[in-house]
Amino acid sequence: MSLKQVFEEHPERRYIMFGGKGGLGKTTFSAATAYWLAKQGKKVLVFSVDPQASLSDIFQKDIFGKGPVKIMENLWAQEIDADRHIKAYQQEIRQKILDMYGLEQVPEEIEQYIQAASAEPAMEESAIFDAVVDIVVEGNYDYYIYDLVPLGHALYYLSMAKVYDEWINKITKLREEMREYEEMVSRMKREKETEEDQILKELQYIRGRINASSSILTDKEKTAFFFVIIPEEMILIDTKKAAELFAKFNVPLSGYVVNRVIPRELLSENIPAYLKNRIEMQDKYLVQIDELFGGNVTARVPELERDVTGLEMIRTLSEIMYGS
Amino acid sequence: MSDKPERPKKSFWQNAQEVIYGMASHDMSRYALRTRASMEHLFILITMGDMIGIPILPPYYSLRLLPYVVPQISTWKRRLLREKDVSDAMF
Repeated sequence: MSLKQVFEEHPERRYIMFGGKGGLGKTTFSAATAYWLAKQGKKVLVFSVDPQASLSDIFQKDIFGKGPVKIMENLWAQEIDADRHIKAYQQEIRQKILDMYGLEQVPEEIEQYIQAASAEPAMEESAIFDAVVDIVVEGNYDYYIYDLVPLGHALYYLSMAKVYDEWINKITKLREEMREYEEMVSRMKREKETEEDQILKELQYIRGRINASSSILTDKEKTAFFFVIIPEEMILIDTKKAAELFAKFNVPLSGYVVNRVIPRELLSENIPAYLKNRIEMQDKYLVQIDELFGGNVTARVPELERDVTGLEMIRTLSEIMYGS
Repeated sequence: MSDKPERPKKSFWQNAQEVIYGMASHDMSRYALRTRASMEHLFILITMGDMIGIPILPPYYSLRLLPYVVPQISTWKRRLLREKDVSDAMF
């Protein structure tokens, strides 16, 4: 099945993701797919969840931390500035403390904790995770294209949702037990109402956020996940492993896109042995790819004569991927 | 005006209720409150453990809860760092 067919047969798949090892062309394919969909008259947002995003480079426009930036008709791109998101979030927490207790200044040990928490390695990912929920929940676009982080991170991202969920469930349960005790006391003291537990409310909010995000990642109906691969041994081995792990997290796999295939036609020309060897090597792995992934291979994209940056090259690539 | 004669009756009832409460359930409710307080401290430990050096995942959403536990933080720390709870000896 071709990429075009996948999109035409499943218009309900609104969340499109390209995943794979670093540097194989996830951003490029995200951009080309976004371009093609926009040309089809769909309103598209392509956004990056990678702290080292490269959408700015491919669109040749500085979009980092600027919210959704219009690239062309129907096409918007966004890179999330995690640092700024975290800073704004910290400030929000500080303000809440000041307002709740009528303080002039945040107590020192609390301030220290706020700062220490932000230095945690998971903080950046969590902040992006949270920002993505905001973007997707708004639902302003027909298509959302996730320019994903490299494989390892993506798995971390997925497992984080699971860890979060379990963590929240545990503490929500504890909180509910605490609530029971509180109610018991007020019954005995014959007080009318117990105060509403703000923390419990907050926990329920957090759980809602996490579920919103992870349910999209694993929604079989609305999500299409594509693996980007190239015909090389290491990539194939890693991708196979990753695909198994992704399957464990119930990520709906829609297909594989093979990138950087050196055109076979070159063989008929007078080419150096070096290039010939590479073509033969790729041939061997292309056969393997067909054996491994068979009908799930949705496109073979040739190695282009130059790197893909700027709308003109993105258009060329989208024509290769989806036909003109 | 009309509720004036009712007042002593009401306060008698209140008194009676308080006496009964004191005899029957004061201990129970004090015990429930103590359990509730222990759970509160356990809760803060689970969410804010980082503050005393116990790494707890995940800090991003912990911060959301921070404002609500600010007043309890110092008693919580004191209690956790105490080897033995004074109340253990008292009750």
